Order: sequence, then C-alpha cells, then structure tokens
Amino acid sequence: MKRTRQKETKNLILTGVGGQGNVMASRTLAGMLVDAGYIVTIGETFGMSQRGGSVMSHLRISPDSVKSPQIPRGEADVIVALEPLEALRVLTVYGNPQVCVLSNARPAYPIGVITGELSYPSGENIQVAFQRLSKAFWIIDATSAALALGNPVLSNIVMIGALAKTGLLPIDRRMFEKEIKKTLAADKCAVNLKAYDAGGGMIK
Amino acid sequence: MINRLKLLKKIFSGYIIQDEADVNNFNKIITESKKDLNKLNFMKKSVVKTTISKKFIIILPQNPGCDINANQKLGCPMRKKPGSQAKLKKDVLEQSLCTGCGACVGLCPYQVVYRDRTVQLHDCDLTDGKCYAFCPRTPADYGQIRESLFDVSDVTPEIGAVKGYHLSRAADPALRAKAQHGGTVTALLGVAMAESLIDSAIVSSRNEELEQEGRLVEAKSQLCDYAKSKFTVSPTVAAFNRLMGDTAGKVGVVTTPCQALALAKMKTARINDDGKINPLNLVIGLFCGWTLSVESFNRLLQQYQISPEAVTGMDIPAGKNVLEIYTKASATSVPMVEVDACVRTACRYCIDSTAEFADLSVGAARFGGDCDEMCGWNQIIVRSEFGKQLMELAVARGALEIREAPASALQDLKNAAAEKKRKALKNIVEKSRSVKNLLYLSSDDPVVRKYLDAGTKQRS
Amino acid sequence: MTKLLSPAKSKVLFLGNEAIARGALEAGVSVATGYPGTPSSEVIESLAHVASERNLYVEWSVNEKVALEVAAAASFAGLRSMAVMKQNGVNVASDFLLHLTASGTRGGLVLVSCEDPGALSSVNEGESRYFARMLEMPLLEPSDFQEAKDLTKWAFELSEQIGNVVMLRSVTRMSHASGNVICGKLPVKSRKAHFEYDGSVMDSSRGPMISTPVVAKHLLHQEKLKDIEALFEKSPFNRYVGPGKPELLIITSSACFLYAEEAVEMLGLQKRVGILKLGTTWPLPPKLLEKHLRKTKKILIVEEVLPFLEENVKVLAASLVSRIGINTFYGKYDEMLPSAGELNPDIVAAALCHILKVKRKTLPANYLNDSQKAAALIPVREQTFCAGCPHRASFWNIHNAIALDGRKGFVCGDIGCYSMAALSPATGYHTMPTLHSMGSGTGLASGFAKLAQFGLDQPILTVCGDSTFYHAVIPALINAQHNRADITFIVLDNAGTAMTGFQPHPGLAISAMKEVVPAVDIAAICSAIGAKVAVSDPFDLETTGKILTSFLADKGLLKVLILRQACALSPEKKGKKIFDVKVNESLCLGDACGCNRLCTRVFRCPALTWDRTTKKAVVDEVICAGCGVCVSICPQKAIIKL
Ligand SMILES: Cc1cc2nc3c(=O)[nH]c(=O)nc-3n(C[C@H](O)[C@H](O)[C@H](O)COP(=O)(O)OP(=O)(O)OC[C@H]3O[C@@H](n4cnc5c(N)ncnc54)[C@H](O)[C@@H]3O)c2cc1C
Ligand code: SF4
Ligand code: SF4
Ligand code: SF4
Ligand code: SF4
Repeated sequence: MKRTRQKETKNLILTGVGGQGNVMASRTLAGMLVDAGYIVTIGETFGMSQRGGSVMSHLRISPDSVKSPQIPRGEADVIVALEPLEALRVLTVYGNPQVCVLSNARPAYPIGVITGELSYPSGENIQVAFQRLSKAFWIIDATSAALALGNPVLSNIVMIGALAKTGLLPIDRRMFEKEIKKTLAADKCAVNLKAYDAGGGMIK
Repeated sequence: MINRLKLLKKIFSGYIIQDEADVNNFNKIITESKKDLNKLNFMKKSVVKTTISKKFIIILPQNPGCDINANQKLGCPMRKKPGSQAKLKKDVLEQSLCTGCGACVGLCPYQVVYRDRTVQLHDCDLTDGKCYAFCPRTPADYGQIRESLFDVSDVTPEIGAVKGYHLSRAADPALRAKAQHGGTVTALLGVAMAESLIDSAIVSSRNEELEQEGRLVEAKSQLCDYAKSKFTVSPTVAAFNRLMGDTAGKVGVVTTPCQALALAKMKTARINDDGKINPLNLVIGLFCGWTLSVESFNRLLQQYQISPEAVTGMDIPAGKNVLEIYTKASATSVPMVEVDACVRTACRYCIDSTAEFADLSVGAARFGGDCDEMCGWNQIIVRSEFGKQLMELAVARGALEIREAPASALQDLKNAAAEKKRKALKNIVEKSRSVKNLLYLSSDDPVVRKYLDAGTKQRS
Repeated sequence: MTKLLSPAKSKVLFLGNEAIARGALEAGVSVATGYPGTPSSEVIESLAHVASERNLYVEWSVNEKVALEVAAAASFAGLRSMAVMKQNGVNVASDFLLHLTASGTRGGLVLVSCEDPGALSSVNEGESRYFARMLEMPLLEPSDFQEAKDLTKWAFELSEQIGNVVMLRSVTRMSHASGNVICGKLPVKSRKAHFEYDGSVMDSSRGPMISTPVVAKHLLHQEKLKDIEALFEKSPFNRYVGPGKPELLIITSSACFLYAEEAVEMLGLQKRVGILKLGTTWPLPPKLLEKHLRKTKKILIVEEVLPFLEENVKVLAASLVSRIGINTFYGKYDEMLPSAGELNPDIVAAALCHILKVKRKTLPANYLNDSQKAAALIPVREQTFCAGCPHRASFWNIHNAIALDGRKGFVCGDIGCYSMAALSPATGYHTMPTLHSMGSGTGLASGFAKLAQFGLDQPILTVCGDSTFYHAVIPALINAQHNRADITFIVLDNAGTAMTGFQPHPGLAISAMKEVVPAVDIAAICSAIGAKVAVSDPFDLETTGKILTSFLADKGLLKVLILRQACALSPEKKGKKIFDVKVNESLCLGDACGCNRLCTRVFRCPALTWDRTTKKAVVDEVICAGCGVCVSICPQKAIIKL
C-alpha cells in the first residue's frame, strides 16, 4: 500500500555532521523550491547536535500542503549526505528499495573512531550497503572539490550542484543563482556558483 | 502492542531506541557481538551497563562512579596478565605499598608525582607497561637480578652482595662539613665525574616544604650543594626517566634501596628495549630505615614550632632513639615514637636496609663505640666490580680515606639488616593475612624464605 | 531588505520562530525580550535584526524573569510586548508571572514558550502548558508555520481583550522547522508609551498595577476568561478534518497535528478517522468539544509530552456525560502513547494500527534484513567539544588538578555547552557528575561544601558559563561566600552564549540591537563579594594548572578562577587558526608504552585522529582549529607548531 501509493510529496533527507553546512544547504534548497511554487516543510535538528553530532534535515516538497517535519521511517525518496556514515545511518532508518542516495566520499570520523574505540565501516562495505539498500547511488568527493576552491565548507554547495545534475529534484542553476543572490553577500556568489558547477561535473 | 512497549525512548550517544524494530535491531547487535564483548574496547570503555528488561535494552554511558575494574574482572583475560597501570594501582598504590621512588613516573603522561604522592592522572589501557615492570613493589625475580649485576659468590642473605666492607670518609674536611656523615657519597660522585666515569649525577633536592625531586648535576663543584640526607622521599628515579630522554652521556644516581631496586629492574627488564637505560653507569645506594611522609612530618614540625624551610639538616644519632632536627639557630630532639608515626606506610613492608642492588652502598658508621669519632665516618659496602674500581680510584686519587671497620661491625650491620627483613615480612603477612601471599615478594626467593621462616617462627 | 519584513501577500519560507517574530511585527509589537535557549532564540534574534527599521526595543535580558518584567513594563505603559523563552525559562519567570496574571496587563503581552519534547537540546523536557491552567492564562498552540504567525498576531489582540498575559507555546519541531508563510500587513503607526496610575484600584486600565484586592481581582479575571472561552468556540484555529461520523476521533494540537495527519494518510484511514485540531488549548471551548465528542465513542488524544490536553478533555467529557454518553479515551493514561519523549508519525501510526486493528505495510523482508546488517556497522556519533574548544582545555586542567589533589574532588555542573562534560563523561574527563538548572551548580557546590561537618572531605568545584553567571549564579555565589563555603568556582568565559549562537550577555559591551553598552565585569563582582579571584587562559595549561592545584590546596574559602578564551566557533575565531600544527611521525610513540595515544585516546580533540595503519596520530587539517593545546600535552613533543 505504502510503496505503491502515488507520491505527490518528495521526501528528501539532507544529513551530515555538525559544522558541515547542513542547515545552510537545506535552507538554500528549500528557498529554491518555495520560489518555484512548492510547499516546503523542513524539519531540522540543531542546537547540541552542532557539536560534532549527526545532523539531519527532513525536506518535504509538496505541490499542495504542509507536511510533518519528520519523515516516517522507510519513506525517504532522496538522501543527500555530506558524510558517508551519516548516509548509511539515515538509509537504514528511512531507506526503501526506491530511495536514491547522493553521498560525499570523505568520512568525518566519530569521536569513538578517532579514539580507536569504534571502527568505521570500510568504503567497500559502505558501497555494498548503498547498493543493496537503494535504487541508485552516487558517491562524490565533494570535500576535495571544495578544498580546491579554498574552503571545505563549500562541499555542501558542491552537493547541491550534484543533486541538481541527478535530476532527482526540480531544480536548476538559474534557481540556485537567484536564491544565493538573496541570501549571500555579493562577493561570495561567484565561488558558490563555481562549487555548484563543480558538483554538477562530478555526476556522470 | 505499542502500549506494552514501555514507551521508552532512550537516547544514548545518538542511538535511539524507540520502538520494537529498534529493540530487535539492537538486540541483534548485542548478541552478535557478545562472543567477543570483552575484547571490544567499546563495551568496556563507553558503555558499562546493559539492562535488559523484557523488551528494552537501556545502554547507559559510563558514569564516573562506575567500577570498570569490576566489569573487567568478568572474564577479561587481560587482567590475569601482570603488568598494567591498573594493576599497579590495585596492587601497589591502593595497598599503600608505593615507596614514592618515582620509577613509574616520567615515562609517559599518565603517572606523575604530586607532593610526595604518586598519582595516576588518566587511565592507561596497555596491558604490559613499564610503570608496572619497573616498580620496586611489583613482583620480580631477585635471583635473576642478582645474577646479572653481581658476582653470585659475593651474595649474603642479610645485606646482598659484598665485595668489600670498610669505613670511609671524604678526604676534604670542607666537604665533610657540608655532608651528612663522612661525605663518602659526594666524594665518590666527584671522583666519578672527574675521571669521566660519569658525565652527570642525579641527586636529590628539597624545597621549602621538604618536598623533594631528583636533580641533574653536571658540574662537580655543585655536588655538595645537594649533600646531606633529607628523610622525606625523593622521586629520584622519575628525574632519571625524564632526563634520559634528553641527556646523552653517562649518569650516576644516588638512591635509597627501593630506588636502587627500581633501577636494577630497569636494567634487566625485558620490556625496556629503547636504550634509555644505557646511560646509567653508576648507582650509589644509601642505607635506609625508612622515609617520612611530607604531610605528616610537616605537621610534626609544626608541633615543635619549626618551619620546614628553616630545617638545615637531620640525623639519627646512635643509641639515643631520637631524630635530631637542625636549624641555623637550634637543634631539636624528637622522640622516635613521634617520628615513627610519620613514616611512609610502604617502608614497613621493605626488606632492604642497605640498598642491595647498588654498585656501592653507604651509611652512617653509628654502631657502638665512640660515637663522636665515628659520626664523621661512613660504612661502605662495595658490591659490584665497577663499584670496587670506583672506590679504589677514589682512594688512589686521594679523595677518599678508608679504614678497616671494627671486628664486630659487619656482623652488627647484618644483624640489623636481618631484623628489618624479619619485621617487614611479619608486617607483610599481617597485611595479607596469609604466609602464602607475600604481596610483592615471593617465598621462592631464598632470602625471603629464610627470614619469613624466622618471622613466622617468632610469631608462633 | 530582510526576509522578515517581506511585503504583505508575499509567500516566504520561514523558520517557525521567524513566523512567530513576523506575527509579532504584524501585531505591532514594540518591545521584545528574551533569554537565549534552544529552541527559542531565533525569535528575538530575528527581531533584533529589524529593530531599528521597525522602531522596536529588543533585549537579551539577564534571565527569563527579568525578560518578562521588562516586557510587562512596556505593556503597563500601553505598548504591545513579548517575552520569549524556552520551557524551563517559564519556571524562572513563574514567580513574577503568578503576580502578573493577578495584576493584569494593558498593552497586548504575549509570553512565548518554545518547548523541547524529547529534550533534543535540553536537559529536561519540562512542560509549561500546566502554567496556563494553574495561572489561568489563555494558551495558544500553532500547528503549522502560517498559524505560528497568525496565532501570534491574534495573541496580542486576545491579551488586550482580556487585559492579561497570553501564552503561546511552540515546540522544537515547530520552532526549528521551516515552511511556507503568506505574509500579512505590517502596521505603519507605532504606539506612544505612557504609564497611567491615578485610577481606581479595580481599574486595570488606569489604576495601579497590583494584584490586590486579590480575591476581587481574581473573580474579575475569571469573568474575562469566560469571554475568551466564547471566542475560542468560534476560532478558525480550531478545526476538524475528516468524515461526518468517524470511527475514531483524534484530538490534537501543535506539531502533533501534522504527525496525526501524516499517520492517517499513510495508513489510508481518511474515511475512518477524523482529526480535531485545537489551536486554543486552554481554556477549552466546551461547546466545540461537545459537538465533536458526540461524533464517535473512540477518542485518541495525541500530544507532547504529558497528558495535559487529555486531562482537560476528560474533565470536560465527565461533566458532559449525561449528554454525550460514555467515551473510550486512548492516550497517555492507557499507555497507548508515550508520556515521555517526542512523538512522530510512526508512533501515531502504530497507535492507530493498534486501535483500529489495521496493519502498516512493511518493507520487504530481505531489505529489512540488509538494512539491519548495515545498521550493525554504524558506530555511534557521540557529541563532543569542537576542535579548539576552550572547554576541552578547561576540563583537562580541572581533571588534572582533581587527580593531583587526590581527594576525589568533583565538579557541580551547570547549563551551557560545557554540560557536555556531564552528558558524555569522557568529554569532561569524568569530572562532572551533577547537572541541573542554570545556576544550580553553584548552589549545589555551596551545599556540598558545608558537609565537612558530616565527614565529606572531597574538594568541591563548580563551573558556569559567562552568560549563566549573570542569569542565576550570583545569588548562589553570594550564598557560598557569606556561608564560608570552601569551593573552587570556575567561570568558563568564552565571550558569548555559545550554545545558542552567540547572543550578547551583560559581560559584553554590545547589546542585542548592536548598540555599545556597559559591560559588567565578572571578576569585579567576585572580588567585590570578597572571593579570591584569579584569571587565566585555559590554553595555558601550565599557569592554569598551577592556579587550580593551589586553589584546591587553599582550604576554607571561596576561590574564583575565570578561564577566558573565546569559543572556537565565535565569529572572531572561526576559520582562523592561531597555529598550524602537525604530527612529526618519527617522534610519535603512538600506542606504545610511553604514550599510549594520549592525544587521541584521552584528550580526544576531534581533529586528532588515530591512523590504524601507521599507528601514529594525525592532525586533520580540515577540522583542526589551531588552538595548539595538543602541542602542550604531547609527551614526545611530536605535535609541532609549523
Ligand atoms: C631517607 C634516608 C634514610 C636513611 N636511613 C639510614 C639508616 O637508617 N642508617 C644509616 O646508616 N644510614 C641511613 N641513611 C644514610 C645516611 O643518612 C647518609 O646519607 C649516608 O650515610 C651517606 O652519607 P654521606 O655523608 O656520604 O652523604 P652526603 O655526601 O651528604 O650525600 C648524600 C647524598 O644523598 C642524597 N640524598 C639525600 N636525601 C635523599 C633522599 N631522601 N633520597 C635519595 N637521595 C637522597 C643527596 O642528594 C646526596 O647526594 C639514610 C638516608 C636517607 C636519605
Ligand atoms: S603502561 Fe606505559 S604508558 Fe601506560 S601508564 Fe604505564 S608506563 Fe605509562
Ligand atoms: S613504588 Fe615507585 S614505581 Fe612503585 S608505584 Fe610507587 S613511585 Fe611508582
Ligand atoms: S600524544 Fe604525541 S606521541 Fe602520543 S600519540 Fe599523540 S602525537 Fe603521538
Ligand atoms: S591544535 Fe591540536 S588541540 Fe587544537 S584543534 Fe588542532 S588538533 Fe585540536
């Protein structure tokens, strides 16, 4: 019933680790979509989670109504992750056979891994899990692209560019440009557009 | 079903247990990893309690008050292996066996000395550590150490290896005036330095509260600034550990018996393979009956209205059963019973009064006879070949005078040393409540066996 | 132009808190005050941004009680005003609030409480709705973003109508969620302030603002509440969606409405279940409730956290029983829904499945199986102090001083980023075993210190942040000094209310509206009460360590150490490293005896990573904030400043 139900609403989860620019990315995406006439609801976890914890934004993109700020389990359509482990964490709770995953490749190790008490799954294990648990997935090295542009925090914009290229959401470069002109200082727009384009270039 | 789920939503480090699916999931993780739970640091370190009620698992993060040791005891194979910092804590520090020698300190960031206490700053989870291996109050094979350092035929049960036994004093009266007794120790160090047998020496230095630390001296002329006995403990070996990282060249160390033992353990320890011990070229031991706890001794001084910084020296004159405390202005005699209360507990379990693991051991010459004449002299026990060479060189260079001791002297010394051994073993058995458990000692050691037998016989 | 001032009719994406701020602007608010606390802070923050444009007075007050008092003064002078706080802030304000409801108000006064079911960023999930019932305040609860704005605006009108304060309650999932809002008009005129007090004592619009004569005024207030009840009967914020004769009626409010709607839709129960969504939750409109309670016998009440609505509905239903008959209620009392933690669509759906005996479609078994396998690989991500956080260095110093002292001292904790030291103990090096409300650390310490008489011989320490100091610590500190409590009181002064996003506080020379104001000096206050005061930089481990050990040894008096170092995320520091550091691999001992990974295993800066293959520590240059503290702790001098 649930899976075959015609979904008017797109459920996107943007995840990462505190400090990666998760909130900025979700607001930018939502701003673009509101502008395009959608009713968007974002549910965010911040506060304490900023301090190195997992951060998650639930985006509900509906043509007609306000949705719950929490997506039910197993009901995500798209997962965008600034960190691969967080992609996996979200996937195991909100995933379903139809979900698509776009993940940054660079791990941000949890403190337990840093201290050597826990282990971080190998890249290979993560890929296998993505393969089994999603309809399609992309892993891109957004952090390196961002570092090449001079600031690792731009990886969130690289991810937006890549997301646009996948065609999973009704967004494009013109919408992005319009949105950041509203929200960012003028001198920052150029580098953000570069980051956006870099992201697009990483999706084959 | 939802109403039977006790509606728990426990957040533990980001893991949310929220409904049945979670619980099943978590159950599975736990059961799958259970086989090697004890190997998982994760389980030991960050999680200590799993409460499994019918349907829910509550994982509590470790709280500061919890007893990890108790948890680890449950089947952790590591615990049985000797040698961890935790074992040092349990077997030495918590048993009041710590001598304060400093052998476990200065090796790493975890063990430090504060005032005259050995403190573990953070837990270390290594199972085989130098701290444990070097500590003079952890078990060791004394037979093997004696064999590797001395001529076995020289070894006596009472006072260890004896290659020679004399009375001695520094030839220089100015030095004698600054020294505790005959200035033998300082004179020997001076010769060793002058002859380049050592490049520097580690002696002990006190502050105004009578707390001590090991001090590296590189100039012969400064040696006498640190002469005289300070009866509080000096973590001299810590200074050795710390300095060996930086200093090249050969080093001589002045030690109490426990410190000499620690250095001997370092020389022979299997774990010590980084070469930091190599510079150690000379160990001069001091005879030692006990050391004092800084805190209680300062309290005693307060009772006598002596401020610790004014103290210029102390001694135990023969036969008077007092500790004499000197300041510039006065000399105060404190009855031994009062001093006794300030003795570090650890010293009551020490069986060595002559620093048996040193190259040479030096003490007061305060047996019977004419006290005044003798108090300017030392007894010296020559133990190792190197010690013998040094003493002979010192005599040859005219820095040290020696003379033969009175006939009964050596026997008196042995008797006194044997008495300390007996007493210590008696105290140990009293503490452990079993002749089978000798704390850091083992009845496999012939010396221990000898005085243990005597000790228990005496009791019965 | 900022988004908050968008023209009428424009459709904007607002954070719930921005929607509340916009509602207040549309109502013509003049004075807005608050104390920062997640999830409430953005209301005041966004109003502060437009303060000069809209001629507002916006203030971060020293604490919630003062915030409400400052707002009430504006109301007494005829202006519209608002005080904003998180749930526990209402407790702080409650003493004044009790008297305020008794005296009444003039200009519209709205108390906004942003609550945190599930304690996502709190150390409690306290409820303030009960204050509405206890103090007889009208209570409004928005259940979407448009309502957050519209209800806020209406709250001011209601307040003026009743001559008393009105409470608006939001929750994290509303305040910190965003959604579309269609803006209304912003008023052009602003009111002039004047405080009238010559009228009769019973005339709350011209007389003195006091609660006496108590009983008479109380009766008058209850009379006015009746009018409010009548208004609520017709309020468009209470609405019903569903069939005429539902099998089950859900009564709900706030974000729970969205969960309920989602759950019903997910299970395809639109034809069987009706939802009565209430925007006015106290006092309940009895006629409206009666009309809907008649519809069916089965009622499920969905709310967070405690059964406030459930209790009030049941009381009402009991009085109506002769007319509506006996209903079966599902909710918290029968444990159909949890009375702890937040709800979500899944929890509501599970309850619906149980009551209506339907099944929710599950994912394919093999998918679930794979999913569980993958979940087993995922290590937890514990929260920790940021790279370069001064608190890490402070707790390092504190830990070492306590360990050296050797008497098993401990730190009484307080509320701020540094609470993490209690929440994830390894982060605070296991030093902080108590954590309660703001300022309580000092109060507890003051108490512990008096237990020497009963044999307690542990040194007592306590910490507080700079903002917390002003909020509630000062009385406790004075108590400690006056009663000769031997405590080491440590102020973790990181130059701002970091946890909630750098709102200024009385220690800084800048106000919410970016005006230059006098800074109130913590050290001077502590010296003035007679404490022994020292100031140090927590990054200077040697100096700070010496002060702390000497403080612990110095018995019988109150000692204050102010540890000053700006937060790693503060605007002046962010992205700027003091030092570039790296590990010299050839010196690093790694996990060998002699170090055993002090930096990664014990110190735990997230920028220091343990490389399992090389068995060396590595500095992650992306995360490293360049504080240089690790350089001082490495026993091998293997971490070097470049
Ligand atoms: C705690 C203690 C207890 C002693 N008990 C006895 C005893 O019971 N019977 C006995 O015959 N002799 C005892 N001695 C030894 C005696 O006091 C003299 O140290 C010894 O006779 C050498 O005299 P000297 O004139 O050659 O010493 P000096 O030439 O004055 O040189 C003494 C050297 O010992 C070092 N030193 C001083 N205090 C300490 C310390 N606490 N730890 C390590 N090194 C230190 C000094 O730095 C100096 O290098 C004890 C010494 C100490 C320190
Ligand atoms: S095992 Fe090694 S590193 Fe650990 S505490 Fe002992 S000496 Fe230090
Ligand atoms: S006796 Fe020496 S080595 Fe043993 S714990 Fe005490 S100071 Fe450390
Ligand atoms: S503290 Fe220094 S020696 Fe130890 S692991 Fe870290 S970098 Fe290496
Ligand atoms: S300098 Fe060291 S302690 Fe400071 S943030 Fe970088 S790695 Fe962490």
